[in-house]
Amino acid sequence: MMKISEFGIRNSELLAIVCLVLIFSTMAAAGVVEKKAALGGFDGFVERMGAGTRELGRGNTGSADTSAMPGAYWNPAILGFRQNLNYTLNGEKRDLDRTGGSLGIESSVGKRMGIGFAMLYRGDMDFKVIDDDDQTLGTATPFFSMMYLGFSYRATRRDAFGISLSMSYDNMDIAEYYEDENIDLNDGYTSPVSLNLGWLRQWNEKWSTSVVIRNLSFSKNLSSRWTKTVSSDNSVPSTEGVRPKVLQIGAGYRSKVMGKPVYAWMEALDYQLADTLLVFDTHWHLWTARVGFECEIITDGTIRTGMDDRNFMVGLGYKFRIPIAKKKYLFDVNYALTYESEADLWNPLSFGLRGYIP
Amino acid sequence: MFFLNKEMAGKFAAGVALLLCGTGVAFAEGETLFSNWAVSVAPGPTAGQLWVYSRGEVNQGVVLLNLNLNASGKITAGKSQVEPVDNEFSAVHYQTYADKLAERRRFPMEVAGNLGVVLPMFGLDEDDHFTEPRGFFSLKESGSVPTPLDVPPSAESIESPMDYAVSGFAYSEKAKTLYAARGRLGIVEYEISKGAGNPQIAEKILNKKSHQWEKLPSAGSVDFSKYLDVFDLELNSEMGELWIASSEGLWMQSASGSIASASKALEKERVTGVWIGGKPLQAIVETSALNKGVSTGGLWRKVLGTKDDFKKVAFLDSVGTAQKKDIYDNADYTVTGVAFLGDKAYVGVWVAGGSVSGYLLLDSKGVRTHGQGTESTDPWLHGFETGVTDRDAIITSITEFPLNAKTMGLAVATDGNGISVSADSGKTWTPVLNRAKLGGNLGSVRMVPSVITAGGESLVSYKVGKDSKITIEVFSYDMRKVRKIVSGAPRLADESRSTNAKEDFWDGMDDAGRPCTMGIYYVRVKDNHGHVGWGKVMSLGGGR
Repeated sequence: MMKISEFGIRNSELLAIVCLVLIFSTMAAAGVVEKKAALGGFDGFVERMGAGTRELGRGNTGSADTSAMPGAYWNPAILGFRQNLNYTLNGEKRDLDRTGGSLGIESSVGKRMGIGFAMLYRGDMDFKVIDDDDQTLGTATPFFSMMYLGFSYRATRRDAFGISLSMSYDNMDIAEYYEDENIDLNDGYTSPVSLNLGWLRQWNEKWSTSVVIRNLSFSKNLSSRWTKTVSSDNSVPSTEGVRPKVLQIGAGYRSKVMGKPVYAWMEALDYQLADTLLVFDTHWHLWTARVGFECEIITDGTIRTGMDDRNFMVGLGYKFRIPIAKKKYLFDVNYALTYESEADLWNPLSFGLRGYIP
Repeated sequence: MFFLNKEMAGKFAAGVALLLCGTGVAFAEGETLFSNWAVSVAPGPTAGQLWVYSRGEVNQGVVLLNLNLNASGKITAGKSQVEPVDNEFSAVHYQTYADKLAERRRFPMEVAGNLGVVLPMFGLDEDDHFTEPRGFFSLKESGSVPTPLDVPPSAESIESPMDYAVSGFAYSEKAKTLYAARGRLGIVEYEISKGAGNPQIAEKILNKKSHQWEKLPSAGSVDFSKYLDVFDLELNSEMGELWIASSEGLWMQSASGSIASASKALEKERVTGVWIGGKPLQAIVETSALNKGVSTGGLWRKVLGTKDDFKKVAFLDSVGTAQKKDIYDNADYTVTGVAFLGDKAYVGVWVAGGSVSGYLLLDSKGVRTHGQGTESTDPWLHGFETGVTDRDAIITSITEFPLNAKTMGLAVATDGNGISVSADSGKTWTPVLNRAKLGGNLGSVRMVPSVITAGGESLVSYKVGKDSKITIEVFSYDMRKVRKIVSGAPRLADESRSTNAKEDFWDGMDDAGRPCTMGIYYVRVKDNHGHVGWGKVMSLGGGR
């Protein structure tokens, strides 16, 4: 006979949640103590930093949530669960002049399919270009962006599979300062297209899981390679690399505590850093994890908290329902505060809006 | 680099000229150096002053630097006088670092009385490269004054214009005459006894057989194979002698005007440089030749006033035994200049291409080893590894100069790290370079330069108000730590900068030694007093 805790959760479920949190936390710790390489040294930070203020407030978790947006980024399979024309717009300013944002628009196509577009943006609004003589030549505003186009097919009532195409565009914004040195720098770089595959299963009303594989291509080893030609006159060597293949496994759990809806989200991410199809040597893998919780403490009002690697977040959200022309439009307004613990930086300026057009 | 601001331009326009100790040079007050890419150093007109010619990425100019030596032996730079040079010409030609001939790989600068400071002048070619020798330029109260030298029609038979580039100067205060070595076109005598604005110019070529000067014909053809190329000149002011380094031997013009060989041992040698100085007075000569693509060279010395001929300088091991091989057997070296302090000579050298540079310490026995280098370092070469510079920059020039009434100083110019100055005969060195003002207690952190490729160096420039233990870490955009540069490293409080340039830099690599990908990185500097400062640097990647 199942025992019920004072929070209204079966003890076995509580145990499962605790175990999952411990497992994911251990994986996060494993990633943290791993010194073989620094994840920050690899490209793709735009992708790593997530998208969506709602998801940010709960530890950047979203791949196993059918409501996560933009779906083309989080898990293209999510798009198979769309029923309306959905949109999201997010913006943030982090310490040290870092700005970021994302937008997404997605819609159902027929009864079983969905399509979505997402764009992620990160930049620095005040980068001082300083030369060897310690003279400030000017201020650059470099930025990095990723674009996704996703498709999904819901194979069953519970399962959806998706694919998204992604490519990045970076702009360093420094070329003008080197024109007088006869160095012909390129400011903009466009990456080749990468493939991202996703599966989402809604097991029941409580549990959902997801698997997302990122950064594949049709080239050798299915690796997503890129070359950045820094200067058009070969005065600066070109740089090349491979985007790490990412395996992202997520889980979601929904329940009630003291009559209030609560949600727990977990994700484990494996970055394979080698340019091979698959490698099992741990030296070539980096692991990080994300956990997040949210609770609808009042009707349409949600508080969130979470942890992404060693960064901590808290978030707030409120859903406004505004009648316009005999229809009720949903405006989901979200806020997040992020603490980047390694750098000891507090970032209190993340805002997002999402909704759908009925 | 230095830009002429409106205030300074106004000063020039108004003709507010500060006459400097009889040189007639009027400069505007400016920054420490014109650029950290210093090319030449030469003694200033009074004690504690130093001429520095430097060339930034956009602009170039000369600085008269005022240096102070305090009682504790610390050298500080005061306000300097700055004079920009027109960007239509340069004292550095396009192939200086890679030129195959030694006499073209140095940067002569001469203080020449009322002419001010003189340097070679190269003009731009069709590709906007400084490849065309145009004579010399001087700096005086009216700014930089180009002095183009005539090139006769006969010079068309000369293979390359660089064969008549100015490669050396000598100035006689007594004769009020500047002598310029012009390679295939001999020498130019530029007499200013009637004023700098009314020069008397004589162009001469030295006949190989008669050993007499002949006037360079302004018209008609000339068989230049009958004449010696002149690569360098040096004046022995005590004797009034003009020493001439030529393509066939070393020659000496006496005060009476007669010319004779200065060395039997060097008669067949291609002598590319000559320097005179020290006590006892000595002459140091460089020979350098290129035969079928193979370069050979050597250093020679003679104590003047003795009957001994020039002898090749011995390179000694740690116990003073002369070695069979010297630096010229290892690479294509060039002497960039010689500084004399008492009986010691400090011979600045670098390898063609600029990968290795420094100075040799030469005493009466020969070149001494420093005993501090690694196996890969030349044991005779004083440079970055022996503390002459605090960053691994090419040493381009060396000179002695009076720091004050009692102390002779040494100065070296470096390509990228300003100059280094020593008040104790080269035992310790103080870098002097352009530095932006920093906020105290890590109030501002500047990455210099702020854009690098993997394998480059960006200096973490910061200042602490009291002696501290510093930790410097590099973070990626998403604030993941990618590199720890130093941890708890002791740094001294300093009015200008607390950075230890040998350690406090980022090379674009992560902790695993792999190049970080293209992007912006954030550098955190923390001290043990609770202060935190941030700088930014962009890596363009590379190295994969």
